[in-house]
Amino acid sequence: MMKTKIIVVLLAAGALWSVRSAQAHHPFAAEYDVNKPLTLTGTLARMEWVNPHGWIYMDVKQPDGTVRQWTVETSAPGQMSRRGLKKNDFVDGMPLVIKGYQSRKDPTLANGRTLVLADGRSFYIGAVGGPNDGADR
Amino acid sequence: MPSVVPALEWLEALAWTTAIRESTWGYPLVETAHVASIVAFAGLVIMMDLRLVGLAFTDAPPMQIQRRLFPWQMAGLALSTATGLLLCCVDPLRYYGNVFFRVKLVLLALAGVNAAAFHLTTYRRAERWEDDPQITATARLAAGVSLVLWSAIIVSGRFIAFNWFD
Repeated sequence: MMKTKIIVVLLAAGALWSVRSAQAHHPFAAEYDVNKPLTLTGTLARMEWVNPHGWIYMDVKQPDGTVRQWTVETSAPGQMSRRGLKKNDFVDGMPLVIKGYQSRKDPTLANGRTLVLADGRSFYIGAVGGPNDGADR
Repeated sequence: MPSVVPALEWLEALAWTTAIRESTWGYPLVETAHVASIVAFAGLVIMMDLRLVGLAFTDAPPMQIQRRLFPWQMAGLALSTATGLLLCCVDPLRYYGNVFFRVKLVLLALAGVNAAAFHLTTYRRAERWEDDPQITATARLAAGVSLVLWSAIIVSGRFIAFNWFD
């Protein structure tokens, strides 16, 4: 029993040690700061329409003229579909505006709440567990 | 050692894995089937373990209970393994880099060794369980280890969704 415990701890430590970076998926409050709301205006670099959460990569021009790429977490494809959004609504290079909340630690990561397309259509793209800010209505 | 990452990238780019990853219903259905089959499997394993530990069904011989539960345990194991492998294929890079996934794999291997050791040794002498305290003690230990491991496997599996170490 003791030997088993030691093996479990050693193996778990080994797994922890060798872990590499990966995309996150987590409760809102653990990753995002409700006190850091933001509006991103830019162009779509790439959209990952994937489960369990989608990812929008967008290029945002800074005041100094440089371009910074943001990563925006969305809800699942099924949730976005129900709101009328489709995978082929996303075309690389198209302009878009996203309202959301910034990550606590990653300065170019945000949780998306509202997506506004160039034609004026607006969609709720927030995942379950976000703040009660009315974005889903 | 050659990296497995290129193979995982190839798997991720396949048409069918991409289709499930991007699906509205496919992914949630596979995920739900995975959880449901784990519930069936783990529930039946836990009942057997509780009998061996001496906390449930103590008025019936362990052999009688295990013989009845075994086919259902295996059915649950088969479905949860199949759906689990499918989920791995659908998003291999995400799982590869996830610490809780790695912990779960290690725990699954340990649970497999524990179950195999039990079935190949103690279980073979099961007819004598009633009157051999040594066998009873060994079975109780295996069942206790099984309870701990399967609980930890379920917890680590759930925590794959919350990657704390990225």
